[in-house]
Amino acid sequence: MAERVGVSEGDPDGAEPPRVSAAMMADPAALGSNTMVATPAQQAEAPELEAEPVTAGLAEAPSQGVTRVRDRTLAGDRWIARVLRVGAVLSGGMFVLSLGLEALPGTESTHVAIDQLRKAAASLLLVTPVARLGVAGTLLGLRGEWRYAVIAAGVLGLLALAVGAGIQA
Amino acid sequence: MVVGGLAGALGAMLGIGGGIVLVPALVLGFGLPLEEAVPASLMCVVANSCAAAAGYVDNHLSDIRLGLTLELATVLGAIAGGLVAALIAPAMVAVVFGLFTLYVALQMMLLRSPRGEPATLDDYQPTNYPLGISGSFVAGGLSALLGVGGGPLKVPLMSYGMRVPFKVASATSNLMIGVTGAASVAAYALRGHLKLALVSPLVVGVLAGAYAGSRLMPKVPTAVLKKLFALVLLSVAGQMLWKGGAGLWPSVWE
Repeated sequence: MAERVGVSEGDPDGAEPPRVSAAMMADPAALGSNTMVATPAQQAEAPELEAEPVTAGLAEAPSQGVTRVRDRTLAGDRWIARVLRVGAVLSGGMFVLSLGLEALPGTESTHVAIDQLRKAAASLLLVTPVARLGVAGTLLGLRGEWRYAVIAAGVLGLLALAVGAGIQA
Repeated sequence: MVVGGLAGALGAMLGIGGGIVLVPALVLGFGLPLEEAVPASLMCVVANSCAAAAGYVDNHLSDIRLGLTLELATVLGAIAGGLVAALIAPAMVAVVFGLFTLYVALQMMLLRSPRGEPATLDDYQPTNYPLGISGSFVAGGLSALLGVGGGPLKVPLMSYGMRVPFKVASATSNLMIGVTGAASVAAYALRGHLKLALVSPLVVGVLAGAYAGSRLMPKVPTAVLKKLFALVLLSVAGQMLWKGGAGLWPSVWE
């Protein structure tokens, strides 16, 4: 089955991203390290939208090099998702626990525990998106996408500056 | 918790965080002062972003690179907005933003987009980065000046301005709002305005709602999401025009 292949890389300069030709598919070395190729397997993972006619295609089967690039991208996405999920679940669990403790007889130690739990949960929740930004920047940097690593570092730096100066970002 | 759940589900599906539901509900429904409702709502936006974006990133619905690029412009805009806040009349900005939002909402409701969504989420390429970056800068500035989240502006900007599929725009917006929301909450928390006893049940509800919304969103037709988004924009427009009107012509509003 012939499929159209797309490249999911963004380019802030507005430059046309590398399109994957049949020749490139035949020669994985021709692919840049940033190029991600949509394969039939990957397209099965991406949710379908309201279907439009799909242009007839270029590639038949993914080569080994292409598969490796795709796997690295997917692994990176999974790491980012994991950071977000762990942060949300842990902080949510702590908030639920604090609500459960409120039902107990109100002793001094219970109040202290509730207060500590809520502070920890709120701190964890606030750190999670920032950690996600750090993980995304690091992973993209490791993949050689320095532009995005620098952007992530810039966002983190600006946020630190804004919070430090008391500006509401 | 129920209000949080509704706000979480709506925010996760549309990429707007849920503050648009929470702030009026807390102020009008529960009689809370605005200075307590806003940081609580921002905390819920962060919770919403974490819970929903985890699913979207896993499903490759969020465009991480696009999100990072626009995030930088948004934060720069927010800092600029915070710096010029004393020089600009927020009421006038609110009226202009309200009219613009009204225009976008009506366009989304009444006009049928000639552009079809791509067949799969890998079949698109964001275009018009200069517009996206400058729009995000403006969205960040408005967020700092008016206290509105960037979602209601950034989702149409990505979808219509940058030709990003609506669901990707919504999922990417969900990813972005968490970072700016966290910075805003941190600023409020440092000033002692964050009430954790109020936040706890809201966050639990929002996390549950956002999880449900993020599971539901890929299955909902894009046309339905767009109509829902237009209704939310109408609500934002109403709030902004009210806020601006009350600031510009207080005697009429009294």
